[in-house]
Amino acid sequence: MSEPGELGGLIARFIASRWYRYLLLFVSIVLFVSIWHALSWRLNKTDPVLATFIPYPLDVAKAFLSSFTSPIPGPEVHIWTLIAASLERVLLGFALALAIALPLGLLMGAFKTIEYLGKPVVELIRPIPPIAWAPVFLFAFRAFWGPIAVVFIGAFFPLLISIIFGVRSVDPMLIDAARTLGAKKKHLFTKVIVPSTLPYLMTGVKVGLGIAWMCIVAAEMLPVRGGGGLGYAIWTIAEINRYDYIFAIMLFIGILSILTTGLAGEFERRMYKWTGMK
Amino acid sequence: MDGHEVAISMRDLRKVFKRDKTKVNAVDDFALDIHAGEFVCLLGPSGCGKTTVLRMVAGLETRTSGVLTVAGKPVIFPGSDRGMVFQEFALFPWRTVRKNIEFGLEVKGTPEAERHSISSKYIDLVGLKGFEDAHPQELSGGMKQRVGIARALANDPAVLLMDEPFGSLDAQTRNLMQKELLRIWSATKKTILFVTHSVDEAVFLADHIVVMTARPGKVREVIDVDLPRPRDRTSREFIAVRGRVLTELDEEFEKARAKELSPE
Repeated sequence: MSEPGELGGLIARFIASRWYRYLLLFVSIVLFVSIWHALSWRLNKTDPVLATFIPYPLDVAKAFLSSFTSPIPGPEVHIWTLIAASLERVLLGFALALAIALPLGLLMGAFKTIEYLGKPVVELIRPIPPIAWAPVFLFAFRAFWGPIAVVFIGAFFPLLISIIFGVRSVDPMLIDAARTLGAKKKHLFTKVIVPSTLPYLMTGVKVGLGIAWMCIVAAEMLPVRGGGGLGYAIWTIAEINRYDYIFAIMLFIGILSILTTGLAGEFERRMYKWTGMK
Repeated sequence: MDGHEVAISMRDLRKVFKRDKTKVNAVDDFALDIHAGEFVCLLGPSGCGKTTVLRMVAGLETRTSGVLTVAGKPVIFPGSDRGMVFQEFALFPWRTVRKNIEFGLEVKGTPEAERHSISSKYIDLVGLKGFEDAHPQELSGGMKQRVGIARALANDPAVLLMDEPFGSLDAQTRNLMQKELLRIWSATKKTILFVTHSVDEAVFLADHIVVMTARPGKVREVIDVDLPRPRDRTSREFIAVRGRVLTELDEEFEKARAKELSPE
């Protein structure tokens, strides 16, 4: 009688463990690659022309691995050069966005006048896709600042919105407590509002970093400084029809996005530990 | 304790809340004098405006009309002369115990060495030694409120305002904290205005119990508790006072309920 119960308990414990999560991660990737492979295979039978755009997963894996050892066909530079160039743009664009969004968001959150002045413009510009800015910024600001400006515009709004929301979400009881302890307006701002906003800021940082990477192909659609970058590589590889390499570069962009966002997440965890916030 | 100078004076105190075009008379014609060093409990049915009175004294709520002075000066803004302790503790989660206690001193611009010695003094007083560097989330409810009390006292206010400070604690912790508060009170000689809806708590703590009427809140009766401390909750005298307060309160509770049930 106790047999099925014991087995059920075992299954329940497995489902609650992290091994179950790892198993699902593995299944997820295997499923994805299998469907992709089946699609490429079917396409090769029915439409060989279209099939060149969807290479087999194995070909992409080969392209990905050989990127580490030999220069990328098309731009003819090493993958590390591309990564370094794009990473620099993403980080600079993001840092710039943070440097402007942080004070602006705090001010817009704290002061109604500034919010009502800024909100219409923000709401107007926010929904415009960053790629729409690419021709403007790339021609106006040229090879160095142009791509950075495209990344900037992508990362700026999620940061700004989450900071404003963070200021809004300050516990009014903490404001009351600070006031009864003699805090004046400036103290409320620096000692209560700013620290309360931190968790919301970190959410904005993670979302903003992800979007910054999503902007990199648009940011590098024109010839850019120093061998291009991952985005520019995609445009040049397309000219020689090496779609296996295009997919490999996509994979690099995805991995870099996961890594930088993960790093921000780790920083967030340490910050919570250090500040004692949950 | 000379006990004769008036620490808090309220005359014709009135508070009207305006919500969606309807006016709610929260407090009306409230009058009360609290002398320096006294422990006064505000007691009344929920929604009677006792917290509103406390928040007006703190300066967190403006009064619609009436006179309200603390140490002879009219209350306009919150100030460090009136410390407040909140039911939900309201501690700064990113600050350690010590840093929470030093908040008011930081704002005042007290030099660090002095801040440190003052916070140490209150950490000792409330019994938090060894927890100076803990963050609020690591503490139990009772300990959190010790921090809340120490934080309010560190500013050395003349008046300590307490808004159901033990309302979210379990019964045992609550009883312990009441004893602790009396110990701290006799050590610091503060004037305490304490809001509660627990009759037992009021009789255990207060010199005077102010029973408030149902909304709009005004003073129904001030009951003096002349029992020596420490008070024995099971003593005949304690139970007698408790009974008297309960009778007063029950009538107001019935009134409040009748009002709630009636249309309008």
